[in-house]
Amino acid sequence: MVELLAPAGNLEMVKAAVESGANAIYVGARGWSRRRDAFELSDEQVHDAVGIAHAGGVKLRVAVNTNMQSCELPALLEKMEKFVGWGVDGAIMTDVGAIAQVHRRFPHLVLHASIGANIVNNQDVAFYRSIGVSQVVADTKLTLRELASRQVDLDTGIEILIHANNCYTYLGKCWMSPYHRLERTTDNFGKDLFRGSPNRGGLDYRVCLEDWDLFDGKALLEPHIALKNDAFFYLDDIPALIELGVHCLKIQGREYPVPLVASIVRFYRELIDAYVAKPAEQAFDLTPWRLRLEALRAERDSRRGNMTLVLLNEARQPVPHTA
Amino acid sequence: MGAFELNTTISNLRSLRESDLSACDAVYLGNIYCRLFEDNFLERMDDLTEGIARVKDQGLRAYVTSYAAPRNDALPKVQIALETAAAAGADAVEVHNLGVLRMVHEQFPGMAAHVGGFANVYTDAGAEVLKEYGAVRFTPNYEISLEEMEAIVRGAGIPAELQVHGKMPLGVSDYCFLLEYEQHWPEKCPVLCQKQLFLKQGDWAMRSVGKGVLSGKDLCMLEHLPALMDAGHRVFRIEAAYETPAYRLQIAQVYRAALERALAGDGTVDESAWQAIREHTAVGLCNGFYFGRTGSEYVGKRVEAATAC
Repeated sequence: MVELLAPAGNLEMVKAAVESGANAIYVGARGWSRRRDAFELSDEQVHDAVGIAHAGGVKLRVAVNTNMQSCELPALLEKMEKFVGWGVDGAIMTDVGAIAQVHRRFPHLVLHASIGANIVNNQDVAFYRSIGVSQVVADTKLTLRELASRQVDLDTGIEILIHANNCYTYLGKCWMSPYHRLERTTDNFGKDLFRGSPNRGGLDYRVCLEDWDLFDGKALLEPHIALKNDAFFYLDDIPALIELGVHCLKIQGREYPVPLVASIVRFYRELIDAYVAKPAEQAFDLTPWRLRLEALRAERDSRRGNMTLVLLNEARQPVPHTA
Repeated sequence: MGAFELNTTISNLRSLRESDLSACDAVYLGNIYCRLFEDNFLERMDDLTEGIARVKDQGLRAYVTSYAAPRNDALPKVQIALETAAAAGADAVEVHNLGVLRMVHEQFPGMAAHVGGFANVYTDAGAEVLKEYGAVRFTPNYEISLEEMEAIVRGAGIPAELQVHGKMPLGVSDYCFLLEYEQHWPEKCPVLCQKQLFLKQGDWAMRSVGKGVLSGKDLCMLEHLPALMDAGHRVFRIEAAYETPAYRLQIAQVYRAALERALAGDGTVDESAWQAIREHTAVGLCNGFYFGRTGSEYVGKRVEAATAC
């Protein structure tokens, strides 16, 4: 049975995801995951999240998927020691050095290669498997045919993002945001937050969504260039993904309100259950699901659009220098 | 290698033939962003073989790069390019993708592997893992500061290659937005992306090369070379995959002269050097992330050079 993996940016969202039918939930360790700290959990909250998830029969994974600094690795291992002791069911990671060290220290912990690892081919999957990863998040740009080839060739689990952003660039291989604004701040525990760098755990200013004009030298060639960056919901491909045997369908959205995330999780829970329950020879009509999804999409797009304006405005603000 | 290595990047044989490489020690052949780039070395094996020979005939080291984000359908071509590089006597291959590094390690164990900037080396532990896979040199992720870089070099015991001049990579895509608009313009793919195309909004600017996004400003470390050498760095790159032969030559001449002076303990830079840099700079200068700041900022005495262009 395919696993439905839900996001949680706070404890209330953990509870809502459990109640809405998630099989597994991921949370970000504060300062160590690919979201701003407002949507991450303190260590104590991670402890509580494990309790809430396990009480509901749901797995709890912790994302420590920033591209960290060398000097931060001991602190990461210390943090993981606590998380493993509390019973987290897996860790979502990006940095190959951090993955290798965590795997050596906690060989039984299930490690997931994050979307930030930008795993785009089967040789990549084999590489990550060789350093201890047992499940990888597929890049959002991959086709069903590419995913199918993985099932044939490899025994590594695949996670598919069914609600996420499809950026213009490959995730994990983009520095447009910190090129325009990078603010180094530290949290109360001394963790560098790299505000402006999504790869390093800070927020992404979404500068690709700016209304760009294209110039040839100094001459305007084309106004209002839009670099594609769309938030998406999978629907039509869900039956094919289930038939393909993918291990996990993952929903992103720690930054959205709890009721919206709960509605998205419930939608996919019911869709998966309905598809799996139907007789094999019976066609599956997606029409009613499409209508339900439109309402979720409208609310998501409204919130995302507003957030983009806030971020682009912040990206124009001067950086206070301490050096 | 001599006291230092100054290298550059060239995408195709035409550009290689037109380039005077007398100020360089080594060349990376191939375009990492797009398989459709005009006569990309990585797609034309006869050209690649000739290119390697041309570079080596000049007494320079020939390196063959590889794609920044190769999907499954590109791997057979990557395989052929690696075989061609090995057969033609390339001195190293550059890999930006860890799957390709694994291919090099398993199939070409004698081939030196340089890990490229898109491979996301952020930590010494990460560099150690890649060293186990045969990496002998790495370009850190472009977000890395000099301070962090030193920790990686010290911890992993593997030298770093630093881009010291040119447009800095900011991202790579599987999609070329220029193709949506090319019917409006006289130039078409595969030469369209070689025009001086900039995405601008207010005082923001990024160079577009279709599937690649580069900094609008030229990263320039000219006045910081003595500090880089004091820190032990000896391998420097002028990024010029989308630049003209004149850019490649004149910028390399400026840097070679400055590096030799820095090696002799002289940190001064001629005014003529700044003049050459200004002539080849469309938007301004920046230091990338080397000083832990916003990538488009410039830190140094020549602040006017950063904004006056």
